[in-house]
Amino acid sequence: MAEPLIRMQNIRKSYGRVQALVDANFHVNEKEIVGLLGDNGAGKSTLIKVLSGAVPLTSGDIFIRGKKVSLRSTSDAIAHGIETIYQDSALVTQLSIARNLFLGREPIKPPRFLNRMDQETMNTVARDLLREVGISKNIPPTTPIGSLSGGERQAVAIARAMHFDSDLIILDEPTNNLGVAETQGVLSFVRNARDSGHSCIFIAHNIHHVFQVVDRIVVMRRGKVVADDIDPKKTTVAEVERIITGMSDKEIRDAVADGKPAH
Amino acid sequence: MACSNHVAGSMENRSFIQRLIGRPEFGPLVLLVVELAVFWGINPDFLSPQNISNILAFTVELGLIALAMTLLMTSGEFDLSVGSLFGFSPVLMWTLYNSGVTSLEVGLLAALLVAAIVGLVNGWFVTQLKIPSFLVTLGMLLVVRGTALFITDGFPQRTWSAEGSWLANLLVGDFYIGPFRVYASLFWFIGAAIVLGYVLTQSRTGNWIQAAGGNPLAARARGVNVSRVKIGLFVLSSVMASLAGVISSLRTSAANPNSGTGYELEVIAMVVIGGTALTGGRGTIIGTVLGILILRVMRNGIVLIGVPGLAYNIFIGAIILGMMALHSWLERRHQAGT
Repeated sequence: MAEPLIRMQNIRKSYGRVQALVDANFHVNEKEIVGLLGDNGAGKSTLIKVLSGAVPLTSGDIFIRGKKVSLRSTSDAIAHGIETIYQDSALVTQLSIARNLFLGREPIKPPRFLNRMDQETMNTVARDLLREVGISKNIPPTTPIGSLSGGERQAVAIARAMHFDSDLIILDEPTNNLGVAETQGVLSFVRNARDSGHSCIFIAHNIHHVFQVVDRIVVMRRGKVVADDIDPKKTTVAEVERIITGMSDKEIRDAVADGKPAH
Repeated sequence: MACSNHVAGSMENRSFIQRLIGRPEFGPLVLLVVELAVFWGINPDFLSPQNISNILAFTVELGLIALAMTLLMTSGEFDLSVGSLFGFSPVLMWTLYNSGVTSLEVGLLAALLVAAIVGLVNGWFVTQLKIPSFLVTLGMLLVVRGTALFITDGFPQRTWSAEGSWLANLLVGDFYIGPFRVYASLFWFIGAAIVLGYVLTQSRTGNWIQAAGGNPLAARARGVNVSRVKIGLFVLSSVMASLAGVISSLRTSAANPNSGTGYELEVIAMVVIGGTALTGGRGTIIGTVLGILILRVMRNGIVLIGVPGLAYNIFIGAIILGMMALHSWLERRHQAGT
């Protein structure tokens, strides 16, 4: 069997005496969208932070295409082709679409010592990318991000990851606070990214959104991966909810009726 | 998406006039024109060559600090120690020179170097110890001002030996263009405005400065070294304040350890009036130049038309409040994409 794009093996992460991840094993294949689900405190955010270089792991190994890597910072992760898109912190609202797309990797016009950005190239590429990611309307690339809707901002962030050939795009709650039409737009951007050869990890509280877009579902509970090969086409939302909570359907109904958290 | 239509349509349909009005520099420009018209209308001598020369001479000295402060504030920080450096640097330069330790030129270099170290310390405290720039630079203001007073015993330094020095000619030499008396410092100011305007709007560094102020988390996630950008801007701010102090000292033949008191707030006011966001992320050098002129013209004009000079702060306060309201309104329109 081919080596997966990303393999995380026996990952442990402790915050003092709290074990956030306990021997978690997780993988993402090439050109695959993986839905990562779990209740609050299940460990999915910590797992993603470890993979994006935001926090160091306590023990365990991470492999990219079979090669062991060390991800000590977000820059390390980006250099290894892992791009994380957080809903509110991915973009600079005051800057234009084009300037956000190229932030940190702006093309320079000769002579290089003048350090002058090649804004024409940036605008041209931005226009093409917006089309590629699935925004059909004509939004000028000089438009400030602050003028865009939540869905369009996600599209810009995804477009950026695609342009810089990120192998893995991690989307943390990309459909939070979005309307129905915007959500469908974001889901289609994610599919387009997969169809262009990128893998994605999709994290969302709304399981219905996950079911619409992912190829495989992974469920975490109390720091461990408890299911990692759920086919959304062959299961139901209720079944996945049962795995997330570790309770039977009846126990879930009773917990909801009692007003207790479903653990 | 529905919103895409809205944004695209609104962007394309905006006329030149609408775009001009939407710019942060438009409000300050109108205010400056109104100011000039009112003062000139009341007292025609306001636009006399002598008065214009007077306004420009001092304007550029505070202006140099304001230009650097624009970049620093765009990155989301500000510097309260600039006024104290304005006073301290010439004192240090003249003390070294008068005591025979160094030449005037080396004294200047020493003053600029010490200012750079002050900026470095400010930047290090803010970025590495995560202390707000307000507190760090307030502390530094006291350290620098206290040092200036300590080494001079509170007395001004002798400065008359600068006459004929090539350094003095280079920095503040004056000559006449027609009836206008022009100081060399005006060209230093224009040069600095062009260079820093270019850096902010055209260069990669400018993009990083705006990103550092707008969303430092996003900037860091893209590999931008936000700390290095901010430390560099603190150094720039300190060095420009030092240079401005030396220029002022050479022009007026005075080096008073108390000079520059209160300049930090006036400079921040100039920058904010010009349209740079106090919260960072957005800055404009053209706006700052307008802000500098607005405050200096106001200071000169109200005296010239007979308003007591002590009333100056009332006008400045009113201008700041009015411009803040205008910029806030423009920002909301901007965010709404209209």
